[in-house]
Amino acid sequence: MTAKPSHEDIGTTAAPAAGAPVDAAPAAALAPANDTRNTGPGRLLIAVYAVFAISATARAGFQILTKFSEAPLAYLLSAFAAVVYLVATVSLAKSGRTWFKVSVAAVLVELVGVLVVGALSLFDSVNFPHETVWSLFGRGYAFIPLLLPILGLIWLYRRRPAPKKA
Amino acid sequence: MDAYFYIILVVGLVSTVICLGAGILKKAPNDTTILSVAAVELSLLVYLVGSIVRVAGGEQMAGEPWEFWGYLLTALLLPVGAVYWAILERTRWSNFVLAAVGVTALVMAARMNQIWY
Repeated sequence: MTAKPSHEDIGTTAAPAAGAPVDAAPAAALAPANDTRNTGPGRLLIAVYAVFAISATARAGFQILTKFSEAPLAYLLSAFAAVVYLVATVSLAKSGRTWFKVSVAAVLVELVGVLVVGALSLFDSVNFPHETVWSLFGRGYAFIPLLLPILGLIWLYRRRPAPKKA
Repeated sequence: MDAYFYIILVVGLVSTVICLGAGILKKAPNDTTILSVAAVELSLLVYLVGSIVRVAGGEQMAGEPWEFWGYLLTALLLPVGAVYWAILERTRWSNFVLAAVGVTALVMAARMNQIWY
C-alpha cells in the first residue's frame, strides 16, 4: 500500500460514480495545457480503443486471409472498422489541435458506422449475414462498440482545445 | 472449458473486482492491484506452458493453431502493457485500465478454449 495521494484527484470533490468514467474528470486539476486527451479517464478510453483496434485488426486480417470470398462486403467492413479504431486510438493518445480534429472525425465515423451497419444487419440480413464488429450494434462485443463513440465524443467535448487566439 | 479456463476465470474476475474497487475508492495503482494483474499474467503463463506441453505430447487442437497462439500471445502482452501504463500515470484511472485486463483475459481464454476443442 502506498499512501501517496494521486495528484489528479485533488480537484475532485465527491466525484459521482465509477460506472461513468467521463463524469468524474477533474478537468481543472489536469495538465495546464488543455490540448491533451491522454490523461485521467482518457487513458481508460484509449486502452479500450487499443483493445478494439488489436482485436478488430486481427479478426479482419483472419477473415480476409482465410474466407474473403464468402462475404467480401462484410469483411471489407471489418477491415474498415479496424482502421477506424486504429486511427481513433492513435489520435486520442496524441496531443494538439490537429490530432483533436482527427479524433473527432474518427469517433464520428465510428458512431455512424456502428449505427448504419447495426441497422443494415438488422433489416437486411441477406447482405449482411456475416459478423462484423458493428453487426447488430456490436452485440457480439457487449454493445461496447455502440457505447464507445458516445463516451469518446463526451470526452473529446470536455477536453476540446481552447478557442484560437487571434 | 478446461481447467486453464477456470483458473483464468477466477483469477481474472478477482483481479477485475480488486482493481475496480480500488478505482472506485479513488486509489492510485498500488501493490495489491498490480499484483492481482500479475496473477492474471501468471495464470496465462500456466496456460501457455500447459498448451506447449500438450502440443508437444501430440495432442491436436480442433481449430486453427495459429489463431490459438495469436490469442494467447496477445493475451500475454495485455497485463504487461497495462501495468507499464499504470506505472507511467499513477492515478485512479489506471486502476480502471488494470481492471480491464482481467475481463479481457477471461474473454480471450474462453475463445482459446473454443478453438482448442
